[in-house]
Amino acid sequence: MTALAEQVTLVELVDRVLHKGVVIAGDVTLSVAGVDLVYLGLRVLLASVASLEEEW
Amino acid sequence: MIETTPAVGWYVFGIVPSDAAPAPGTSLVERGPLAAVAAEVSLAEFGEDVLPERLNDRAWLEEKVRVHEAVLQSFVGATPVVPLRFGAIYHDVDDVRRLLAERGERFEAVLERVTGRSEVGVKAWFDPAQVTRPAAGTGREYLQRRSKELSSARDATAVASEAHARLAAAADAAVVNRPQPRELTGRDEQMLLNGAYLVWDGDDRFATEVAHLAEEHAAAGITFELTGPWPPYNFAEDDA
Repeated sequence: MTALAEQVTLVELVDRVLHKGVVIAGDVTLSVAGVDLVYLGLRVLLASVASLEEEW
Repeated sequence: MIETTPAVGWYVFGIVPSDAAPAPGTSLVERGPLAAVAAEVSLAEFGEDVLPERLNDRAWLEEKVRVHEAVLQSFVGATPVVPLRFGAIYHDVDDVRRLLAERGERFEAVLERVTGRSEVGVKAWFDPAQVTRPAAGTGREYLQRRSKELSSARDATAVASEAHARLAAAADAAVVNRPQPRELTGRDEQMLLNGAYLVWDGDDRFATEVAHLAEEHAAAGITFELTGPWPPYNFAEDDA
């Protein structure tokens, strides 16, 4: 598998694992669900995905 | 002062019926008809003081995201599962049981809704270089004109929404997500459609519709890509 293909797959996963699924807010002890990914400073990948969602 | 509390928490991946077999590396925390798929994690790794930094570590994040997906994937085609979003961590097992108690009805509703179904993803891509010259041989001009037409936002949207409508008709439920930009996909082609569909297991209609779309749009430089089956990430909320 090429590096490019791996990246595409990771994007696909991030799109689902970090942005979909049930969000447990409030009663959860620790959660990244409430963390705004824009502010995490994850350069290209997450910042782009997060800002994408905002525009949408 | 000596820290005596063991620095562990319970990471919850998803919710399954209590008679499900646990995924490798996890245990089931049961309450009534439901069970949480959970694993003990070190708070040195997942604690709220270190997590923001960890999330910026691409290698760490990728590893954990893949574990999350692998655990949920193990239920696909076998047992209905409600995927939780990455990073739901509880201090102890009683907290996890409380989650099942408080949200039980909603989890049961989602489980019922996804039973016998899986999520599949469909992406449509446009590549101007793949536009086929018509048989009559009007050639280059036609190709350029057609490319220009398709690359216009309006036509791209039209193709995407028509394809989505047809795919949705062959599925039990459908969600359209925003197409990813090139800087994320790393591909030259333009993503026209980024859809997720809840499809009955063993139902051929959906794959057939994807094949029809691919055939109809091939000459226009549009390809369709099917991914999955996935855990129903896009259909995990009971109000969807």
